[in-house]
Amino acid sequence: MNPFDIRSALLAKHAQHVVLIHFPIALFITGVAFDLVATWTRRRGLADAAYYNLLIAAISTVPVIATGLLAWQFALEGQRLKGILLLHLVMALVSTVTIWVVWWLHRRVRKDRAQRPGFLIPLELLGVAAIALTGHLGGFLSGVNAPG
Amino acid sequence: MNFQMHRFVSWVVAVMLATFAAMMFAAANTQALQAAQSAQTPAAVEVKIDNFSFAPVEISVSAGTTVTWTNRDDIPHTVVSTDKVFKSKVLDTDDKYSYTFTKPGTYPYFCSVHPKMTGTVVVK
Repeated sequence: MNPFDIRSALLAKHAQHVVLIHFPIALFITGVAFDLVATWTRRRGLADAAYYNLLIAAISTVPVIATGLLAWQFALEGQRLKGILLLHLVMALVSTVTIWVVWWLHRRVRKDRAQRPGFLIPLELLGVAAIALTGHLGGFLSGVNAPG
Repeated sequence: MNFQMHRFVSWVVAVMLATFAAMMFAAANTQALQAAQSAQTPAAVEVKIDNFSFAPVEISVSAGTTVTWTNRDDIPHTVVSTDKVFKSKVLDTDDKYSYTFTKPGTYPYFCSVHPKMTGTVVVK
């Protein structure tokens, strides 16, 4: 397997999609945790930390989605998905949209002085659940549980 | 034993021998027919996909054999020839893919979702 071949980069055991996916997962969950504590303690510094974690989480979804779609094209030539693969794709899109919406709502509160919506924390928790399910399915698909 | 009785026993023995000979001939013919049929229609061979591996990893078959891959894993897999000779769609659990090998040669293949999964079909 040529290490400089784009197929190798996308599909090898250390495939880029599998590597990059850890960033939005970790950043979003950390951002939500900071936001919960900031809401509880009303500490501005924690709210800032939450905002920037959510911002970078949202930005990092771009290469993750791109590499995931490229892996789909290269590995399966874009053929129609079903089963776990389809569920992984759908949940990935749901998670991505949720991450961006959560960040956008935080931005409105910070920049536009908008009132913090009451559904924000439930939405954040829903996002964490969606990400957890997407990652769980992705882990199965990647073969991380495979022997050897 | 009088002459009539002797003749009767001879006939019975002759009929029994003839029946036995006919049975042996029929059995031999059936075996030959089966052998000829199996030579004309090579047996289908199955490769099982399970636990992120192909089993058996390498198979040796004669030309004209149809190999069937069955996904017994919980994870979707594919069967793709390294030399682009054959390629399956995504196989969900219990899905099958068959390919008939007509030309002798060595056909390495892999799962395009999990490239670490590899196998080989040797056609003689």
